[in-house]
Amino acid sequence: MKKILWIASLLLLPLTINVQAAGGYSIELESANNNLRDQESLKRGAVLFSNYCMACHSLKYMRYNRVARDLGWSDAEVISDMAHGLDTVTDNVMTRMQDGVALDVLGTKVPDLSLMARLKGDDYIYTFLRAYHQDDQGEWNNKVLKGTAMPNVLEGIERHSTPEEYAEAARDITNFLAYAGEPSKLQRLDLGWKVIAFLLVLLLLLYLLKKEYWRDIKH
Amino acid sequence: MSNQTNESSSGKSSLLGWFDERYPVSSTWNKHVGEYYAPKNFNFWYFFGSLALIVLVNQIVTGIWLTMSYVPTNAGAFSSVEYIMRDVEWGWLLRYLHSTGASAFFIVIYLHMMRALLYGSYKKPRELVWVIGMLLFLVLMAEAFMGYLLPWGQMSFWGAQVIISLFGAIPVIGPDLALWIRGDFVISEVTLNRFFALHVIALPLVLVILVFMHLVALHHVGSNNPDGIEIKKLKDNKGIPLDGIRFHPYYSVKDAMGAVFFFILFALVLFYAPEGGGYFIEAPNFEPANPLKTPDHIVPVWYFTPFYAILRAVPDKFLGVVAMGAAVVILFALPWLDRCKVKSIRYRGNSYKVLLTILVISFFVLGFLGTQPSTPLYTKLAQIFTALYFMFFLVLPFTSANEKTKPVPERVT
Repeated sequence: MKKILWIASLLLLPLTINVQAAGGYSIELESANNNLRDQESLKRGAVLFSNYCMACHSLKYMRYNRVARDLGWSDAEVISDMAHGLDTVTDNVMTRMQDGVALDVLGTKVPDLSLMARLKGDDYIYTFLRAYHQDDQGEWNNKVLKGTAMPNVLEGIERHSTPEEYAEAARDITNFLAYAGEPSKLQRLDLGWKVIAFLLVLLLLLYLLKKEYWRDIKH
Repeated sequence: MSNQTNESSSGKSSLLGWFDERYPVSSTWNKHVGEYYAPKNFNFWYFFGSLALIVLVNQIVTGIWLTMSYVPTNAGAFSSVEYIMRDVEWGWLLRYLHSTGASAFFIVIYLHMMRALLYGSYKKPRELVWVIGMLLFLVLMAEAFMGYLLPWGQMSFWGAQVIISLFGAIPVIGPDLALWIRGDFVISEVTLNRFFALHVIALPLVLVILVFMHLVALHHVGSNNPDGIEIKKLKDNKGIPLDGIRFHPYYSVKDAMGAVFFFILFALVLFYAPEGGGYFIEAPNFEPANPLKTPDHIVPVWYFTPFYAILRAVPDKFLGVVAMGAAVVILFALPWLDRCKVKSIRYRGNSYKVLLTILVISFFVLGFLGTQPSTPLYTKLAQIFTALYFMFFLVLPFTSANEKTKPVPERVT
């Protein structure tokens, strides 16, 4: 039994090493410290996303009514707070920008952000949002993604609020995007231990059953 | 052996008897389960056969439900997977069961093969059990490779692009062969459609048939055991092996226990690390396939990395493909390369123990190297461990012919 546990833990060991962590960015990523269970943070993040990001970005795999259900909003609330009354609850969260405008104005396509948190990680988004700086000529650049076409959209918040409030705004947006990357994550985390608890009881019963049957076998 | 039971259950009045007269219900059950005598000394390593079967069932059942919502088109593939993850009831669970199951399948199969290497389960009279098993492994690799294209993410696309282009390295027929496999000049919707067809029906069908044959062959010759003793040599006056016990209930209950233990580990990954640390679902696969944007670092899924490392270790592309193919194909010959009469490692000489240790270490190191970008140091290491991997098969015929073995006991321990 000891041997089995040893081999089992050995098999699970590689999973604790995250290959994604070896990103190779020019600066150390800051820890986002976001909390998916903090609904108020998610709601603030959704509103900030709507006001600061949706001018260009979409969350095309997310529907408003799903956001409402998961974040504790009513259908009417999500439409007024997040969609400014412009969409219906069954619509997907699409950008306010018309097709082709991004290519003309920014010279590039704007990525959909539904899966950005899963692609790059929460810390990447948090650090990226806070990594804008002006060089000697007054040109904006980003320390995480040099030469990005994205302007420093949070500049207003940074300028008119305390560093803590600015950090919180970035964290809330990150949290909302982390949620949008996998809306079922909390359901998954909350179901897992129940399944495992059930299996542990079943394992005990099967162990006793096996022992009972195997009493007949002489070694 | 099962005639007695047949007669007793074929009374005209019983329902089972009615069936037995028309279909071999009882005799089939008895031959494969009820009166299949397995050695009583199976250890931990003997769980992986039944576990492989359970994972196969998991893949088939979750695969059927995924197919109900998956759309194998250029525009629909990636978004239909996200649709399953978000809008289909329990879709996220089905998808993670399937993606985690794919990796679990290879873990279980590699351990199952390791068992055969430890206890000589491929040796006479079980050569065909091994060969059919190797065919299963080959088909499983094709099945996994084609399945990995279906989410239509960046790694799906570019992984398939790299692997299919390998066929192009074959002299003369290569380029046409790669074109024939893709059905197009690049990976496209045509490729996606055919991989979908092969993944959901053709290869699973072959897998199920081969599993059936694997079991028929095994039950014909009987199971090996950790002592490598033929239990059929010593039977009681009823013709039952002295060291044999009925598969049911003894091993059915034991395997059920093993299965639940496995489910717990499986659930830990499924619910708490479904990406498997970036190994089971690679992060770049959260970006839709883009033929115009090559990822910096294309890595196959972990279960192919040992063979991928062998491919990259050889400087010439075609010879690399040959080496990679040989690394798999040479396993088929194992029953004939190993000439030692003693089966179990418990009674075999030091030469085999040393060789097997080197093989296992090489496999792990190559597996690691296959996940890394190639640097001069890593390439050198890959070459050394590729050589060590093949050394096992090339040296074994000589060392095994006159190995200093220990005496094998008459009865299982």
